[in-house]
Amino acid sequence: MQSINVNDYDMAYLELGHGHPLVCVHGTLGDFRTWYAVLGPLSKKHRVIAVSLRHFFPEHWDGAGDDYRMAQHIADVIAFIEQINPKPVDLLGHSRGGHIAFRVAQQRPDLLRKLVLAEPGGDLDSTLDPAAVRGGPSPRSARVLVSVNKVRSGDIDGALENFVDGIDGEDTWRRLPAAAKQQLRDNITTLVGQVDEARKPYSKPDALAIQTPTLLVGGGDTKGSLSVIWRALAEHIAGCKTAVIPKAKHWMFEQDPEGFSRVVTEFLAE
Amino acid sequence: MQTLHVNGYDMAYLDVGQSRCTPPLVCVHGSLNDFRIWGCVLGPLTKQHRLICVSLRHFFPEQWDGKGNTYSIAQHVDDLIAFIEKLDAGPVDLLGHSRGGHVCFRLAQRRPELLRKLILAEPGGELDATLDPDYKGGPSPLLARFTTAADKIAAGDIDGGLEFFVDTLEGPGRWRRLPPLMKQGLIDNAMTLIGQVRDERPGFSKADAESIQMPTLFIGGAKTKGLLPKVLHTLAAHVPHSRVAMIPNTTHPMFEQAPHAFSEIVLEFLAG
Repeated sequence: MQSINVNDYDMAYLELGHGHPLVCVHGTLGDFRTWYAVLGPLSKKHRVIAVSLRHFFPEHWDGAGDDYRMAQHIADVIAFIEQINPKPVDLLGHSRGGHIAFRVAQQRPDLLRKLVLAEPGGDLDSTLDPAAVRGGPSPRSARVLVSVNKVRSGDIDGALENFVDGIDGEDTWRRLPAAAKQQLRDNITTLVGQVDEARKPYSKPDALAIQTPTLLVGGGDTKGSLSVIWRALAEHIAGCKTAVIPKAKHWMFEQDPEGFSRVVTEFLAE
Repeated sequence: MQTLHVNGYDMAYLDVGQSRCTPPLVCVHGSLNDFRIWGCVLGPLTKQHRLICVSLRHFFPEQWDGKGNTYSIAQHVDDLIAFIEKLDAGPVDLLGHSRGGHVCFRLAQRRPELLRKLILAEPGGELDATLDPDYKGGPSPLLARFTTAADKIAAGDIDGGLEFFVDTLEGPGRWRRLPPLMKQGLIDNAMTLIGQVRDERPGFSKADAESIQMPTLFIGGAKTKGLLPKVLHTLAAHVPHSRVAMIPNTTHPMFEQAPHAFSEIVLEFLAG
């Protein structure tokens, strides 16, 4: 694959189409293939650059080392964009990749023209959610921990079932096509890394700090915290737009590739 | 994407993984697909092999307008030959699915020195009279319907054309029930159907099969119906150094339905 060396790591990416660069960042257990469903529609007007973050496939990571960190992935994406021309680029992140994209926008607004966050992941602190519990693991990280313990005992499919069903409801994993399951399995070691990633919760000042024109996209049928976070952020990001993809859940761009691509393409064209 | 310039065309490919002691495995998609179709087996296969997944001329990422006569088996075989030569990695292992299996078979016939091993996953095509006593000749009985589908697509009705095509092959209502992810891959390659109906594939003959020299593995879905399994078993009976592996509970897209089982079979064959 093509790769760019960032912070002493060869970061792989897939690039296709012509137009303004649109850098796409996958979420937990994803990789550059996460975006396969929307490569066609998005690449009609954009140069789509789908990255694989450090330690995700095509790397076959053994889980060693201490550089699977949220801060490391943010630094890697920043270093990656610094080497893309022309800048500023458009940045699209899904789930945990949405968290990364949000932090990139916070730290380096000069690198970005527009920002698209598709159900960004994370936790809200007490400035955004009065019910937020101080200290202790959030329900999200508690769920990841259960999965990690299953991985450590060799039950990889059990770990994935717990994780995926935790997001989109019971029976989601069982109903996934075999091809989709395999691509999640390919990244299973990264889930173990995620326990120590040190992800900070979103705060109101964080959201207020975003200067980049931003679109937040959610699935109409997503339940739980992932349906709450982007709406909470949207209330405080100045001038942001929102879009709901009807009848879709967390992986909304696989469930409605045309619908998702339409809202993204329209926003980027404005 | 990375591309190699072959016969005046920039042929796109995805290059993933590193081989330890075997040549690269070049993977060739079938009708209405592209390099992405191999996504689900990249993980297991790249643990031991360098994979080169090509997109044949006019398939995504190209946005083809359907014009010209450069969509054909002959053109795609010529392109793949030039691609492997330009790759300059010595003889490669070659894997083709469906129509891509047909392209790989023809390449193996014409240029055996370019290949070490050959894998044909339900190769597409027909058997001629030397292999099938019931052979009647003439165009496929479905050609008229496929042409209707291609005409709709050429007129801008992508969804209607693909619905007509998919439902002809797999039964009424099938297109509407396809997962959106699978639909989108077909939509991205819909224009190639216009070339496909003009695609003249000569039938496989006994002499063709007997001329394949390299070790060859045929992989099928145990539940695939119709012509595909018949072609597979007949060719396997006449290709000298061949093996057959049927994957239980799968049909034509067998590697998407059982990526792990498919990969195990491929890895074992390439290692043996």
